[in-house]
Amino acid sequence: MKLSFTGSSLIVLGVLIVLTPWYIFPVCEMFGMYAKTTTGTLLVMPCGYTARAELGVGSLLALSGIILLIAKTPQARRAVGVISTALGTFAILFPTVIIGMCANPTHPCREGTEPTLILLGAVTILVSLYVVWKK
Amino acid sequence: MPSHRPSFEGLVRRSIQRRPFRSAATLLCFALVAGSLVSTYFLAGGTRNSFDVGISRLGADMIVAPEAYGSQAEAVIFTGKPSTFLFNSSIVDQVREIQGISEASPQVYVATLSNAPCCTLPVQLIGIDPSTDFTVTPWLKSELGRPLNTNEVLVGSSIIGAVGSQLKFYGTNFTIAGRLEPTGTGLDLSVFMRADDAYTMAEQSGQLAVQKLNLQRGQISSVLVKVTNGEDPTAVASRIEAQIPGTVAITSDILVRKITAQLSSASNLLYVVTLVVAVVSVPLVALVTTMGASERRREIGLLRAMGAKKGFIFRMILVEGLLVATVGGALGIATSAVIVYSFQTLIATSLLVPFLFPPILETLGYVGITLVVAITAGGLASLYPAFTSSRLEPYEAIRRGEL
Repeated sequence: MKLSFTGSSLIVLGVLIVLTPWYIFPVCEMFGMYAKTTTGTLLVMPCGYTARAELGVGSLLALSGIILLIAKTPQARRAVGVISTALGTFAILFPTVIIGMCANPTHPCREGTEPTLILLGAVTILVSLYVVWKK
Repeated sequence: MPSHRPSFEGLVRRSIQRRPFRSAATLLCFALVAGSLVSTYFLAGGTRNSFDVGISRLGADMIVAPEAYGSQAEAVIFTGKPSTFLFNSSIVDQVREIQGISEASPQVYVATLSNAPCCTLPVQLIGIDPSTDFTVTPWLKSELGRPLNTNEVLVGSSIIGAVGSQLKFYGTNFTIAGRLEPTGTGLDLSVFMRADDAYTMAEQSGQLAVQKLNLQRGQISSVLVKVTNGEDPTAVASRIEAQIPGTVAITSDILVRKITAQLSSASNLLYVVTLVVAVVSVPLVALVTTMGASERRREIGLLRAMGAKKGFIFRMILVEGLLVATVGGALGIATSAVIVYSFQTLIATSLLVPFLFPPILETLGYVGITLVVAITAGGLASLYPAFTSSRLEPYEAIRRGEL
């Protein structure tokens, strides 16, 4: 198995996407911040659900990186590139559009988690497009 | 027979491509220098931009607040940290009688509840007197063409909610009538309402809210003041504090000094980092380029033997250095701009300074200066190896290159 730059990059990016909402720039529930209902029940806020979704996106991205390392044909590599581009897009869409983050702009999820996930998603898209384009 | 003389551009490009790790490392050095230098510019420029925009939005030359709550009043402006503090509205008439004051308008500051079902968001509510206000009333006149109606609010740029949607504070529903432009200050996290609505909200909070809001009619939190043309705001502020005991008059000079003090440690650190990186990187790059030129003696000897002049060799090595410096500098600047722009809220709350990314023309100015610095550093680092390589005689260069 040849250690390629693009395959290794996708694995690293996938791991970072998994770790960001829980350890690097944790979401609000990691600080004990929850939404409270009128009956006093504590609920996970949107950022918590985004973090769970990014677990899936990051894991699949890391898997794509591993497949890229062992893929032999250009068609297989291009297919992985297309899938990774989609995963990078979802990494951006989950915190911004699909699920979202907290309404309060001073919450840790808005200050740190959201911009980091957007940046990681953008870098993933760039690397994946390079994989698709490269002969 | 066609000529196979390599072009100047081709030689430069192949030389960089043939040594990918060395080129990448050199590029990274210049990226670090440029990135840390431009970050310092962005930090200082962003703080200044936010201050200018925020203070002009406020429209006031000073804020008069209870002496015990001076720092909280500053926090409302700087970071939007929600606060409630009150004193009697009779202060307004006393302030108006001070020599040098042209306008004075009271404001009420109320912090909403966090994680309470009766409050949509924990934000700073600012109650204004529509008849005397000069903070948001000019904006209302120009953008909405009318004052705020009962239970209407004007929100800062960071408050989520479309115009026309509802926000609930202390159990009372308010409609968003408009949204202000970003200032990078605490005003972005503030909600402006009529002071009368704030008093009514407080009166009804006992029945409608989780927690009663203790705000009596007639209580205010601060007085915003405009001084007469030609008057020195600092002198007027001293008069206010002397003639109305228990108050503090916060001028924009005081705010500038506080921001500068808070920013100085971060910006000094960045300057030191830039200096250290530059002092270490430039000689290191010069050494690496010299070693690289030394390894290419045979190639340079062959080129000279094929007719390349000393000036050609000099330009080739110099241009390689300039190209790597330019690309590295551009990469560092782009990375720094993306990071600072993406994390500007985190920067502001961590450093406790207002921050708004500088306008595009000013940003391009910073970028230009930084790129010139990076290219100059690259040129300086490449001068010695370019000079020594160009002085090599062809036979000597080929012979020494084979040893």
